[in-house]
Amino acid sequence: MNLDSKQRFQWAMLAPVIVLLTGLTVFPIGYTILNSFTDYYYLANESKQFVGFANYIKVIQDEVFLKAVWNTVKFMVLAVTAEIALGLGLAVLVESLKRGLKILRISFLLPSLLPPVTVALIWQMMLSNHNGIINHLLSYFGGGPFNFLMDIHMAFYAILFIDIWQWTPFAFLLIYAALQAVPKLQYDAAKVDGAGKGRIFLHITLPNIMPSLLMVVLLRTIDTFRLFDKVNILTGGGPANSTTTITQYIYRHGVYNLQIGYGAAASMIMVLLVLTFSIFYIKRSIGGNGHDLRY
Amino acid sequence: MKKNVFILISLILVVSLLAGCQSKGPDKLVVAARGGSHVTAMEAVKEAFEKEHNVQVEILGLEAADLKQKISLDAKNKNGAYDVIMADDPWMPEFSEAGIFANLSSLGVTEDADFEASSLALGKHPYATGELYALPFSGNVQLFFYNKQLLDKHNYEVPQSWEEVLSMAKAIHEKDGVAGYVIRGQQGNPIVSDFLPIFWAYGGQVFDENWSAQIDSEAGKKALNTYMELLAVGVNYETTDIVSSLSTGQAAMALGWPSWFITGEEASAEYSPVPAQAADGAEAFATGMIGNWMMGVTANSKKPELAAEFLTFITSREIQKQMVEHGGVPTRKSAYLDSELSAKYKHFPVQLEALENSVARPRTPLWSRVEEALGTELSAAIAGTKTVGDALSTANQKINQIMK
Repeated sequence: MNLDSKQRFQWAMLAPVIVLLTGLTVFPIGYTILNSFTDYYYLANESKQFVGFANYIKVIQDEVFLKAVWNTVKFMVLAVTAEIALGLGLAVLVESLKRGLKILRISFLLPSLLPPVTVALIWQMMLSNHNGIINHLLSYFGGGPFNFLMDIHMAFYAILFIDIWQWTPFAFLLIYAALQAVPKLQYDAAKVDGAGKGRIFLHITLPNIMPSLLMVVLLRTIDTFRLFDKVNILTGGGPANSTTTITQYIYRHGVYNLQIGYGAAASMIMVLLVLTFSIFYIKRSIGGNGHDLRY
Repeated sequence: MKKNVFILISLILVVSLLAGCQSKGPDKLVVAARGGSHVTAMEAVKEAFEKEHNVQVEILGLEAADLKQKISLDAKNKNGAYDVIMADDPWMPEFSEAGIFANLSSLGVTEDADFEASSLALGKHPYATGELYALPFSGNVQLFFYNKQLLDKHNYEVPQSWEEVLSMAKAIHEKDGVAGYVIRGQQGNPIVSDFLPIFWAYGGQVFDENWSAQIDSEAGKKALNTYMELLAVGVNYETTDIVSSLSTGQAAMALGWPSWFITGEEASAEYSPVPAQAADGAEAFATGMIGNWMMGVTANSKKPELAAEFLTFITSREIQKQMVEHGGVPTRKSAYLDSELSAKYKHFPVQLEALENSVARPRTPLWSRVEEALGTELSAAIAGTKTVGDALSTANQKINQIMK
């Protein structure tokens, strides 16, 4: 095969992927960027007008958007930290068990198998102020009733709790899989050297599972940034915007009210924020120094 | 042997595929509808139309936000996916201005005085005076619901003013330890729908004749103070809890939509029209929010004439009466006044009275954005993050910005 035909063959093999990528990723991103500089309202009878950075300025000046960014970042930090800590704890616990492994593994995983909408609806019933099982249980112990989803001091944490309940199993699964791959010889050698459980965990377990841990952090960071279903169903962003998130803000403007241009500008700002938060991990995964993220 | 069987199966598959392609079934009419009882009611009666016109009527039941989005997105297609669509009445100005509906007069659909006037007005653009674009399909209107046992226990009559509601709620809360009143204070559409009837009773209007916001007004302040006082002796619930708490006597009074409390002939709480006065002896205003589901033919329907015939059929006197048995809510006076139906469905006279004295939300294509801004500020007020004055003043500013 000469060089030309080899290159043609390579391009022919790459062509379907390039077409798909262009159609499904490059074009939509380009189109969204373009729309973000226009006053595009989907139902307008007039054609869209170029408005420069007006949408971006309006988004950044909107106190609801700023609140949504704050809520999203706060939610991301708290949810990811709790899910990783709990997932790690559960994985170490299950790893150390001699019996009942299969049952525990399956039962831990159940919440993450449910669709987010189903999860939201189930918890809406359970957290109900009047009929919910949680308030019934609390009243049995002399507490409550609490208006979990309507109280400004509780609504955010109620959604946070539900997210942790649903996604800790995901963290558990990946960390548990990583734990299985830690060479047993290292543990034996440490024990022979007289290392305690804490030291073994810090100096053997943790460094070995670090790449997986970072991968879980990255995946959960990106996912919690997209928090939408639970908020939209459970609180509608309230009370007083205390649970509104960036994706819900984008949905309300870009999808429900069909202000495509404005929604596109908010989306682009969100992309920049996600990239800012993910850049550390992406650099590591591309650069490959230290703990790379190959999984 | 295996080879022969394989060839035979392949042949059968190919022949059936070709037969499938060639066979011409009946025409299909697609209805995009709000899911739930509306779909059940239509499904129950559509057969007569299908037989008469040799057409298959496919009814898609969608959640409200999903319905709005799908209808809007389909509107730009040359050949629409839907022939007949349902729309919540506040969407009418936006949809009519965007040309989503076909003009019904040009399709031979004429106005019918039997439709309740306030319902029929919603289908015209401009409101009440313009061309007809949709017919009222479901005659929802807000009512005042109460637990009769709790009111009887205190020898209370049904309250006629909001000050009376408040004093009764306070007394019931103090003496019985239950919620005197339930607000539906979730941010967005719920809190706005729950607050506006009180605002209207105080003589408030969201806009003046120049579309300038009037929320930050004396009426607004009084209404929001009353609303917050009601919350102080009550609770803030979502729909399911409102219904169950009133039904079980854990709460005394609330506003609501008939379909929440009334199923068929049974009602889980007593009802009356929404109190029309701020205080006893004060001027009375129309206060019951109208929330009809409208139905029209899409401008990009491939079968507009047939779709118009279906619309005429499904909103006709006889069919409305039939649909009542399947959860339908009439929009025709003849259905409400029908002696047989009103004997069976005790709420019909009250609902008709409420419809006749109802108020439509402001007819602007920007209403969903206005509602969102107002809902956010009302939520902030009841959550205590803003004072009544701040919340109303911010709402006014935001609404005026939207209306620019």
